Amino acid sequence: MTDYAKKRFLVIDDQPQARDALRTVAQTLGAFAVEFASNYQDAIYRIRNITPDIILCDYMLGEGRSGQQLLEELRRFKMLQDESIFMMVTGEQSYEQVVSAVELVPDDYIIKPFSPDKLLLRLERIVAKKNFFADYYQQKRKEEFSLAIALLEQKRNSEGGRPYRFEILRQQAEVLLASGDSNAAEVAYRDILESHDFPWARAGVARALHKQNRLTEAREEIDRAISGTPHFFDAADLKATICMAQGEHAEAQKVLDEVAKKTPRNYMRKRLLAEAATLNGDVETARTAMAEVIAGDTMPGAVSAEDRLALARSHVNANDKISGERVLVSMRESEVQNMNLAEQASFAALMAICSPEKGKPRFTGLRPALLATELGITARLDVMRAALSVADNELADLHTEHLMAGPEAKKTFGSIRSQYALYGREKDFREIQKQVALKRIRHEEVAPAASAENGIESS
Amino acid sequence: MHRLLDILASGIHDTKNQLFSAESLVAASEAKQRVDLSEVRYAIESAANRLSRTLAAYQLMRHGAQLAIVPVIVPDLCAEVALAQKHHLANSGITLTIDCQALDDWPLDRDLVTDMLNNAVQNAGRVARREIRLSAIEQGNELVLRVEDDGPGFSTIPPAGGTGLIVAEKLAELHVRQHRHGSLKLSNGGALGGACFELRLP
Repeated sequence: MTDYAKKRFLVIDDQPQARDALRTVAQTLGAFAVEFASNYQDAIYRIRNITPDIILCDYMLGEGRSGQQLLEELRRFKMLQDESIFMMVTGEQSYEQVVSAVELVPDDYIIKPFSPDKLLLRLERIVAKKNFFADYYQQKRKEEFSLAIALLEQKRNSEGGRPYRFEILRQQAEVLLASGDSNAAEVAYRDILESHDFPWARAGVARALHKQNRLTEAREEIDRAISGTPHFFDAADLKATICMAQGEHAEAQKVLDEVAKKTPRNYMRKRLLAEAATLNGDVETARTAMAEVIAGDTMPGAVSAEDRLALARSHVNANDKISGERVLVSMRESEVQNMNLAEQASFAALMAICSPEKGKPRFTGLRPALLATELGITARLDVMRAALSVADNELADLHTEHLMAGPEAKKTFGSIRSQYALYGREKDFREIQKQVALKRIRHEEVAPAASAENGIESS
Repeated sequence: MHRLLDILASGIHDTKNQLFSAESLVAASEAKQRVDLSEVRYAIESAANRLSRTLAAYQLMRHGAQLAIVPVIVPDLCAEVALAQKHHLANSGITLTIDCQALDDWPLDRDLVTDMLNNAVQNAGRVARREIRLSAIEQGNELVLRVEDDGPGFSTIPPAGGTGLIVAEKLAELHVRQHRHGSLKLSNGGALGGACFELRLP
């Protein structure tokens, strides 16, 4: 049996009485070091300082936060290693519905009331599972994906792997997706669905299809995963992302609006909402959402230069250049220097739009780099827009051409068209569109298998 | 429409939290005073289970239930029922034996199925003479879970006044896999000569 006296416990609960009860149970197991966290923020702070071996976390944390949200944030920010134990504690039967649907799950959950013996039984089980997967966790952390997959394959065929068949399949699918092999990941998730229609596996299929840019199919799968699982908030995020890629920005915003209301303090989701609202032309929602992210996301280091740029961009979209400039000016020069090229491009472009006299020199100074470098779509859109505003048509058209030829053409189509319309250049935009389409046809004659869904219906 | 359900659920949630405080205090005194108060804890947990079961039944009858299916390791499921019941039964001179031949994980609603088995073992405990057996075996593409006892068996099948049974039957049927449904069967003349509770899950 595990020696719990040597394990570091962290009990997270906003109710003092419940915290005491959990501590008592842990101490009955022989636990010596039991720390407390009374809220979300405190929990993050403690876990960042010293990762506990065993976390007992209540599902309801108060202040619009849940233990599930904490778990998701810890996993996403890689603050919780696979070796640590995360046990959700709940008096609610409804948490079972969450666990059965979502992709990010705790090691186990336990329903109150329970005896120390029952907790012990559950913990011993988790320890056994973690021992079984120990070598795999190491390779996964090192991102040695092919080794990790080989280990899983070996475990799958072993006698000791019999109790973990589903867990092995699930890990295989996740690693394949993380390694970038979305075709194999799709097959792996479909294998799981053959056995049972788990919402998380269906969402996995949708994720893999999205990566393959098979958007219509991805959308069908995610709609199926969501139907009947109102607790599966991450699936709503994925659906919104797929909708945006399809150019259905109003639907993306609607989906996110609904879920964001239920999870008011999930700031990843709020960022996504801001993105969808921006694409949807709902400038005020985007502005409010980004302002809330910057004011409310207290996760250390979570508010990035990119977030501040997004806030400035939302002001620009709302035609409030003064507020936009204020945000940009508040960024220190050292911070700007530390940005990557795409962020520097966005910074210079947004500044040139907000305040031509302050921003134009920097923007013009970057021009050679902007002509020569590959940029992400957000930066390209900013540069295109600034270039149009300073009448640098060559630069604007270059980035537009890249955007229209890229896999995210549907997502950006509406934004680009409205910018060209603003400067009376609709005709030029249609001409670029035509050239891109002609190039694609010529390209597909050579390689007919190329991405079928990238085309834009001209409207 | 869902308001009444929300009120009930939140009341039950709070009650279970309080029961948890009570149970942890009992456990703490057991450790400190070196006494066995497991019957007190058993009563607390039974009360909490009854509350959950009542809520689940209400939800099923009123709104239709949705299962929460997760892969469950079958020997672990059996071990958990044993942990909950064995000690209590031993106090009345009844041995609970576990015969688990299903070694894999199986997709099922863990808490519902655990509760159904606990309930079946409890019921058997009222009539059993010396022994109750919980067994699990994979047959074809079904998982078969049985609770058998050495008591006199059911006087009528189905037993009279079994609203709990109707709920349990419905919950078994809600387990669906590739168009195959779960089922629940009560019979006499089990392996120990008495009643047999049999839950089949696809």
